[in-house]
Amino acid sequence: MVSAPTVDLSDVRAVPASTIKDSRGYRAFRVVNVVVLSLVVVVTMYPFVNILAQSLSSEAAINAGQVNVVPRGFNLQTYEVVMGDRAFWRGYANTVLYTVVGTAISMFLTTCFAYAVSRRHLKGRTFFITFAVFTMFFNGGLIPNYVLVTSLGLNNTIWAIVLPNAVSVFNLLVMKTFFEAMPEELEEAAAVDGLNTYGILLRIVLPLSKAVLATMTLFYAVTHWNAWFQAFLYLDRADMFPVTIYLRNMIAGVTTSTSMQATTESAGQVAANIQSVTMVLTVLPIVMVYPFIQKYFVSGVMLGSVKQ
Amino acid sequence: MSTHHAVHGPTRRQTLLGLAAAGSVGALAACGGGDAGEDVSDKTKGAMEGYDVGQTFRATEPLTFTTLFSDHPNYPFNPDWLFWSALSETTNVSLEATIVPMSDYPQKRSLVVSAGDAPVIIPKTYPGEEAPFVASGVVLAVSDYTDLMPHYRQKVQEWGMETELETLLQDDGKYYVLPGLHENLWPDYTILMRTDLLEENGIPEPTTWDEFADALRALKAAYPDVIPFSDRYEGQNFLNQVGTGHGTVSGWGYGEGIVHDGDTFQFAAATPEHEDFVAYLNGLVAEGLMDPESFTQTDDQATQKLYTGQSFAISGNSQDPPKHRAAMDSSLGAGTYEIRKIVLPAGPAGNLVGGTRLENGIMISAAAAERDDFQALVQFVDWLWYSDEGREFAKWGVEGTTFTKDADGTRRLTPEVSYLDLNPEGTKDLQTEYGFMGGNFSYGGTTELLRSMMNEEEVAWQEAMASKEQVEPVPPHPYTAVEREQVTLLATPLKDYVAQGELQFALGQRDVAQYDAFVQELEGRGMSRYLDMVNQAAERV
Repeated sequence: MVSAPTVDLSDVRAVPASTIKDSRGYRAFRVVNVVVLSLVVVVTMYPFVNILAQSLSSEAAINAGQVNVVPRGFNLQTYEVVMGDRAFWRGYANTVLYTVVGTAISMFLTTCFAYAVSRRHLKGRTFFITFAVFTMFFNGGLIPNYVLVTSLGLNNTIWAIVLPNAVSVFNLLVMKTFFEAMPEELEEAAAVDGLNTYGILLRIVLPLSKAVLATMTLFYAVTHWNAWFQAFLYLDRADMFPVTIYLRNMIAGVTTSTSMQATTESAGQVAANIQSVTMVLTVLPIVMVYPFIQKYFVSGVMLGSVKQ
Repeated sequence: MSTHHAVHGPTRRQTLLGLAAAGSVGALAACGGGDAGEDVSDKTKGAMEGYDVGQTFRATEPLTFTTLFSDHPNYPFNPDWLFWSALSETTNVSLEATIVPMSDYPQKRSLVVSAGDAPVIIPKTYPGEEAPFVASGVVLAVSDYTDLMPHYRQKVQEWGMETELETLLQDDGKYYVLPGLHENLWPDYTILMRTDLLEENGIPEPTTWDEFADALRALKAAYPDVIPFSDRYEGQNFLNQVGTGHGTVSGWGYGEGIVHDGDTFQFAAATPEHEDFVAYLNGLVAEGLMDPESFTQTDDQATQKLYTGQSFAISGNSQDPPKHRAAMDSSLGAGTYEIRKIVLPAGPAGNLVGGTRLENGIMISAAAAERDDFQALVQFVDWLWYSDEGREFAKWGVEGTTFTKDADGTRRLTPEVSYLDLNPEGTKDLQTEYGFMGGNFSYGGTTELLRSMMNEEEVAWQEAMASKEQVEPVPPHPYTAVEREQVTLLATPLKDYVAQGELQFALGQRDVAQYDAFVQELEGRGMSRYLDMVNQAAERV
């Protein structure tokens, strides 16, 4: 009988993992890495922290330049005032509506488009891709776009906000590349089992594409949340303005004193304190979305980096 | 000297929009022109017969006009304002407003006008801003219809505004914006100084720019660690005011960069006056009297220095003293300081004050001339913007509701109404709750009306300023659309180069002795070609 060969692992086991030393070069790299990244974090975080501190400080302390990262003359009154402003909440509700509807429409269109053009057997595939890419480089310009949207009767409706630019070509290409990377055998198997094209998309492809879907949703949602220009162009009624217009008007509307000698009637700055409170309240929801999508986001941004 | 408002370099987006607008202008240029205005004698729907000075306009049937509306963040648009209801009650006219955030008003105006989609009334347009729309024929040549505007004509005549109106003429000899009219020049910006320190050190309040430098010098001697003057607005106001005193143009007052010597136009920066002007600036900075950061720091940084006692003088307007006092009460302590506007110092060129009596005004869509109610529209505009009654209404509101009038004509807000520091006990703000005193409808008018809402301190300052001599506006020199583009191409780099040169001389980066070389460099950048175009255009008038 042949005994099973034994391997003596004692030598290996005797060496604790910790004694495998990092090379000096690697340690130096790690130190530099931590330092540089910490600096990046500080630089990125500082404006947020500063605005947050201002929003909790008294106007006098801000004027005297005392507020840095710690609130001085702590006050919550401004939050009360801004949160009691009906126009602010109306803008907020509009922003939420535009973001939800706009993201849904964008996702639907982008997914359908991307899936279709990711199939190599699609006739005229190159034409459709070229068609989309063409719009990345050429467009009609501001006034023709305005005339178009107006003559379609979209002015002063939600559609003027959510329909133009519903498909971002960049997002479309990323998604197309992701779908292309999916093994065709999967779909063939599904087809053999009796699924049609829509069944394959809904029951096979999309469930396997959560990472790209989450990333795209985040991209679109952030874009819609921050958008103000479309609304500025196509909306004439204050009760339809998103909160970004409210914010922009408050910050840019009366602080143009360096570029324009304002008349006394129209001058009068909005207090720095109120500005920062509004900024905090406006960015808060979208900032809070990030941690929940973070895990998809990391894998998502790598999408399309390698092609089969 | 040209208006402050019309002349600032456009932002990038404005430039892009401007180009877009210019493009459509070219395509539509054929539509413009024609010598007389259209015949509107049959467009009388709702118009008053025999409407004349002193009459209240009231349409004979209910009318609706559309208007662009610049939405101010401090008193955002509210459809329930008394302004709207009282206006339609008085005039039988309802205004339908297109709300535009004030932050981007010029852009949206440019867009809707260029797209041919503008409301009939386009307010808050500064003289000069109408020029890009003229050639395309989308805005009305309002000068053709002033015979329908008795109040406007009366004010122009009574206040002798003809010369100023001439500055609005375009190359077809018409003008396209109805400006806001002030009875007298309304100066507002000057220098604010810590008058307690002046008194404490026995320094007289400066009345000339040289005395201003002396005062700073004395302050510097008393407080050697302090740079006594640290300015805001990136120095633009100071450059403007000192430039005016020296008989040249700079900063906010740069305008087209030209001055008129009674005979021909000169490029301001090439004059000996301008050399004296930069030498003055250079002296202030070199002696440590003026903070070199004045030209670059933000307004907040500048005011912080003032609030913390690191500087004693700063540019500002009538809104600033109360604002600064509130901040300094908490930073320095109430009663330990005193700050106020000083009367604008005079310069070597005389006791001058720059500016214009024309304010931002109204464009009317060309399409309005086709409307059946066109005459009523013009009468309405005339009443609201130019009659004493309309001016008082837009500013003070409704007598008995928002204000009362004494026998001697003094107006007072009713007890519950407040406005800035007038009647601070009131609980309802005249602007936010009632919609009066807003920038779209309330500007211009008699000096009496203007001062009726100022506090005593400001009225005293205005009276002290009244003795100053107003700088003559530069004579009209209307360009054709093609010339305007060429002029812009020449003038914009020149303006940038002048601004850059001024700062280099002021900050001592370049020796003032090299001023002649600087003028040569301007020449190399097309100064003479630019001047030729200006002088040729002036011959057209």
